Amino acid sequence: MNYLRLFWVFVRLGVLNELAYRANFYIQCLQSLMSLGIGLAGIAVVFAHTPALGGWQPAELVALLGVYQLMGGLIGALIQPSMERFMEDVRRGTLDFTLTKPADAQVLVSMGEVRVWKLVDVGLGLTVLAAALLQLGMALGASQALGFGLTLLAGAAIVYSFWLILATLSFWFVRVENILIIFQGVYEAGRWPVGMYPRWLQVGLTALVPVAFAVTVPAEAVVGRLSREMLGLAFGLALGLLGGSRWFWRCGVKRYSGASA
Amino acid sequence: MNAAVEVQQLHKTYEVPVREGGVKAALKSLVRRQVRTVEAVKSIDFAVAPGEVIGFLGPNGAGKTTTLKMLSGLLHPTGGQVRVLGFEPFARQRVFLRQITLVMGNRNQLVWDIPVVDSFERNRAIYRLGRQEFRDTLDELVSLLDLGELLQKPVRNLSLGERMKCEVAAALLHRPGILFLDEPTIGLDVTMQRRIRAFIAEYNRRYHATVLLTSHYMADVEALCRRVVIIHHGQLLFNGELADLVQRFSPHKTIVVDLDREEQDLTAYGEVVGREGARVTLRVPKADTARVTARLLSEVPVVDLTVEDPQIEDVIEQVFSQDAA
Amino acid sequence: MKGLADIYATLFRTEAAVQLQYRAALVIWLIGLVVQPVVYLVVWLTVAKAQGGQVGGFASGDLAAYYIALMVINHLTFTWIMFEFEYRVRSGSFSPLLLQPLHPIHTDITVNIAYKVLTSVITLPAALLLAWLFEPRFNLHPWSLAALVPALLLAFALRFLVEWCLALSAFWTTRVGALNQFYFAALLFLSGRMAPLELMPGWVQTLAALLPFRWMLAFPVELAMGRLNPEQTAQGLAVQGLWVGASLGLMALVWRRGLRQYGAVGA
Repeated sequence: MNYLRLFWVFVRLGVLNELAYRANFYIQCLQSLMSLGIGLAGIAVVFAHTPALGGWQPAELVALLGVYQLMGGLIGALIQPSMERFMEDVRRGTLDFTLTKPADAQVLVSMGEVRVWKLVDVGLGLTVLAAALLQLGMALGASQALGFGLTLLAGAAIVYSFWLILATLSFWFVRVENILIIFQGVYEAGRWPVGMYPRWLQVGLTALVPVAFAVTVPAEAVVGRLSREMLGLAFGLALGLLGGSRWFWRCGVKRYSGASA
Repeated sequence: MNAAVEVQQLHKTYEVPVREGGVKAALKSLVRRQVRTVEAVKSIDFAVAPGEVIGFLGPNGAGKTTTLKMLSGLLHPTGGQVRVLGFEPFARQRVFLRQITLVMGNRNQLVWDIPVVDSFERNRAIYRLGRQEFRDTLDELVSLLDLGELLQKPVRNLSLGERMKCEVAAALLHRPGILFLDEPTIGLDVTMQRRIRAFIAEYNRRYHATVLLTSHYMADVEALCRRVVIIHHGQLLFNGELADLVQRFSPHKTIVVDLDREEQDLTAYGEVVGREGARVTLRVPKADTARVTARLLSEVPVVDLTVEDPQIEDVIEQVFSQDAA
Repeated sequence: MKGLADIYATLFRTEAAVQLQYRAALVIWLIGLVVQPVVYLVVWLTVAKAQGGQVGGFASGDLAAYYIALMVINHLTFTWIMFEFEYRVRSGSFSPLLLQPLHPIHTDITVNIAYKVLTSVITLPAALLLAWLFEPRFNLHPWSLAALVPALLLAFALRFLVEWCLALSAFWTTRVGALNQFYFAALLFLSGRMAPLELMPGWVQTLAALLPFRWMLAFPVELAMGRLNPEQTAQGLAVQGLWVGASLGLMALVWRRGLRQYGAVGA
């Protein structure tokens, strides 16, 4: 319960921080709308030439886009800024401040920085998702909604663990800040259903950079394409990675020694 | 004789956004933007003759760095006239840029990851220096600043003092006639500060370069500048020789008396400005120094007595407090 | 002129040395550059397969050729200068550049070229790998290869100048702002990165041809594929030339304004 209150403090700090730069709010809105616009325009161009893409209907792809935006917002609001901040702290030796506080260091590091405006993406993504579902004429049944919620959570957990593992590498290699850019470069591939890609790319997008679990799987859940096995796999993988990343984190902290000036 | 630098009614204002703390005020500022005008420099006049070394003194935020930036062409004055070597700095003509240099204590122009000598080579190309003249200048700078071992090291491996020396060298490779030095000794240890000061003095002596130096270390100014300009709140408070400054604003002397016991009350002799155990510091008008000293020595159980000129810091402080009054 | 050549050679050497220190970063940046064309290639290949082998006159071999050429040419013409400027203005590291008797654009050009020379070691093999995976079909003639050289140079010059001007917006707002966002979006659609322009609706194609975007990327890519005849090629080169001239003028104007703005506020 303490951690929830802590989280609220960080969020509030994030809000105050962001409000200091009013331009950021408008820029974020603009960015989100443009990203959405690009996605929709892309889908429009593709479907001018074909009625279905890899078995997916246009409205289903719009739903996928919504999930893409939503997940992007979650990552950009919390996971990414915190991990970047953490790696910066390791590089400058200021992680000491976090490690000496009376709370679990991993939790503190994971909510170290909140970029509140990115939540605009979450709102926008949900709106798009809702619109797509309306278009499909689908009412979101209880089991479907549950499936969606679970896969979304699992996806977020998997992405978080992935980022944490990469960020923890900075305990060993100090100059890895760019490594997080890998994710951003590859995340773009999540705009389209991963099942459509050639085998080798699918493997990469599932095992190497978990874009499939972040976007495609929850999207499948929403539009009713999700298989039981996939749900189980997502969940199992999430739990496994959460545990694995925590273990790796522990190893890293043990190795850590404050950088001397 | 043409002045190297001429400044008339120089004026510079900024607009700064203003906001109070707290979430509500922050939300309000999203919609309506409030600005406050800051007058960084309020109509100052001065001139610098070629070959002079002149010091700019003033507390942080006084407008010294802003003035230097206007002199080097980085900032555009809001009003007034600036001429450096006959050029208008903001026009940034190539010929002008080749004759000046600006060294800022907290910014580097050296490339971080490569050996110092490669950064120097880069400057050689940019300033289009002939290879021979570059060699000669470099050799001189290396010997004056003792850079021999540093040349092959990447900049990131240098200590702060070593880096400063290399920055100064890089800034002088093109033998500029005017040096703008903004807090060049900031953050350096005492030895290095002395080193840099000695170098600047030598450089001025050899090449008759005009030097404008800002600092809040009195030692820099005392060591190098005959003339000082004091700036505070963007205004020029004093422009003249250092000796005159002391004479005008603080025609006093300080007498430090060590007594053999504590309780003596010496207010009859002069203004007591400090008391530390058995040591009393008195401030007396210059004219009365001899008389008061004689009286102290004969009337009071003195163990030790020193007569000092006032600390220039104190003088400057007086200048500022007078301005505030 | 000789002085400028000397400057370029020295700056290039320096920059290459600096960038080599950040080898990992160089590679990582490339990932984004490679992933995007592959993604869109697969999308269009899927569409083509669903439509019986081709879409809008592009068979799978053509699509593969298009996107591989696109990847290489995008790599050769892209810049990241707006991020660089944002950093410079924010950290005040722009001032030392302004004190030098050299237009800052030269430094930026050499940094850009140094990066591309160094990373070609990776992109060219990557292109070959993609060629092996996707089996592109090129239609090359000696004259089109010859024409490709000026086409690429002009495309690079055009893109660099336009993006440099946009980067100067950092003087006015300290974030890689709205203007740049619009530009990237327009670039995606109008320069042929998302899809070959021939697959886009007519009005998009017209817009792309009237604006510089087609001439930055789509034109050299089509030329590299061998999809243009000599007449179209000559016309295209001429249009590129005109645009480069126009952007030089724009650059001079925006630079003057930008200096004034920087000089008002400073850093």
